[in-house]
Amino acid sequence: MRGRGRAYAPGRPGMGRNLTLGLLALLTLFPVILVVSTTLKSAQDVRVNPFGLFSSFSLENLDTAWTVGDFDSYLLNSVLLSVPSTVIVVVLSTMAGYAFARLPFPGRTLAFYLVVFGLLVPFFAYMVPLYFQMRSMGLLDSLVGVNLVLASTQLSFGTWFMRAFFSDLPTELEQAGRMDGASEWQLFRQVMVPLVTSGMGALAVFTFLQQWNNFLVPLLYMPSGDYRPLTLGLYLFIGGRSVDAGPLAAGTLITILPVVVLYVLLQRQVTQGFLSGAVKG
Amino acid sequence: MTAAPAPAAAPPLPETGRSRRRGRRTQSGVSEATRRQQARLGVLLVAPAVVLMAVFLVFPVLNAVYYVFVDFDGLDTTPPWVGLANFTELAQDRQMWAAAWNNLIWIVLGTAGPLVLGTGLALLLWGVRRGSTFYRVVFFLPYVLPQVAVGVVWGWIYAPTRGWLNRGLEAVGLGEVTRGWLGDPDTALYAVLGTAIWTATGFVFVIVLSALRNVATELVDAAMLDGANYRQRLRSVVLPQIMPVFLMVTALTLIGGFAVFDIVFVMTGGGPANATEVLGTYAYSNAFQLSRISYGTTLALVVTALAVPVAVWLNRLQRRASSEGLGA
Repeated sequence: MRGRGRAYAPGRPGMGRNLTLGLLALLTLFPVILVVSTTLKSAQDVRVNPFGLFSSFSLENLDTAWTVGDFDSYLLNSVLLSVPSTVIVVVLSTMAGYAFARLPFPGRTLAFYLVVFGLLVPFFAYMVPLYFQMRSMGLLDSLVGVNLVLASTQLSFGTWFMRAFFSDLPTELEQAGRMDGASEWQLFRQVMVPLVTSGMGALAVFTFLQQWNNFLVPLLYMPSGDYRPLTLGLYLFIGGRSVDAGPLAAGTLITILPVVVLYVLLQRQVTQGFLSGAVKG
Repeated sequence: MTAAPAPAAAPPLPETGRSRRRGRRTQSGVSEATRRQQARLGVLLVAPAVVLMAVFLVFPVLNAVYYVFVDFDGLDTTPPWVGLANFTELAQDRQMWAAAWNNLIWIVLGTAGPLVLGTGLALLLWGVRRGSTFYRVVFFLPYVLPQVAVGVVWGWIYAPTRGWLNRGLEAVGLGEVTRGWLGDPDTALYAVLGTAIWTATGFVFVIVLSALRNVATELVDAAMLDGANYRQRLRSVVLPQIMPVFLMVTALTLIGGFAVFDIVFVMTGGGPANATEVLGTYAYSNAFQLSRISYGTTLALVVTALAVPVAVWLNRLQRRASSEGLGA
């Protein structure tokens, strides 16, 4: 299909087109290249010659960010905030998605409206009252509390996403399983779930990126800064005092590196997550 | 991204009709005992998600509606009822109107820019075989990055004395237009917009490209044989076919524009002199810096409500697209 498109697409891909694409790619990547280059230069070189790309090599900026800039604990906190919330989203969404796709149960319509409501209302709309709710529940500055908030911002999307995967499975599977005497739980756990693992994987990658990049939730609900994640740490690093570009670049690199690696390795899953949020009906 | 312009801001509603039909089909031909088992399992499977959403979504939303009609300062346990006072204040608040105006500029340029650039990129890459995965990964990358990191890097690019932008302008002989792009009230909003367009272009690009791959190439071919030139083929054959997807991505980008927050907050914090204040940052600073909890909540709810018509339009588009079997 893609190969055929070549001949039919308006305009023929020639030298000019490849050159333009290459240039645009370089332009798009430039800010990222800048981060990598500045990180890997010596601190002295960053000060004297800020515009030289890759003009020296040193790990001292990374070292400074890691030890003086506290990016080691920010990194740990980012993991502690993204991994549990992602697991919660994937597990609960798979369960709920299956129920909505396959099972008749009382209260189903009402529960479904709740999911739709969650899809339509952005976090922004209720962030203020949630702050006071968290305060009175004693969940401010708590890993458990913030993980639960992070998870609930993605639950509607996850449920809707997994529901589509379960809806596509043929009904014959259930009938065959029932014939073999499987209970409804066994059908779900041992027959259906293994068939949607690719969907769960895509949801996991997509959700993890959203949680890793989340800025507003930890900004609001981690006021004391005990469990500051990378996004928040980086923000506070630039705020207030003027910092050297070297360690700042290193901090930025530490923040984006997991995202970039995950995205490049699993770009199909990541794109699928974003696309299905947009186009698939 | 990011709670970045979240693409899931208003995802399509699944067609309940289909699931109901499917539900009935599973019911027929199963025993009463199986049906009871299904009902019990269904409730158990949905319960955890429902409980979490009730506590961390429905309850705060209801509270938000309550806050709008009282004057809550964050401490008072029984805040005084003020009726519609928050709304009348909002209507007369000149700073709010300035923020709304900036927000409007943001919505228009922040939608038009990525649409034009992203579609252009997709058309450019359409049909290119060699390196197409590489280009797709590269152009989408900015959309995946955390907005804070993006803000930091673009802060250097826009920096007054040591910034790459000024440096580049000097190199091409435009030394007199150099400035601190984020510090100058005349340019700050557009500088932040430039960064936002850099990130959102990749999103439009990926979606339009996937739509282009579904275009019926026979039609393009036939038009070419009939002597239609590139522009004619594009306008009369290609664009009509990708129109549904194009409109959807327009709606999504628009919705993201209403609630813009992260990138502005990180890059300028609404300054200098409120030049980049948008409704989102204005709501935040009212609620969390000025302790005007109720007023900030009102602003946040109004921003959300303004985006509802676009979300409804988007939903209609998505349903039509899925019934026509389109999609990525």
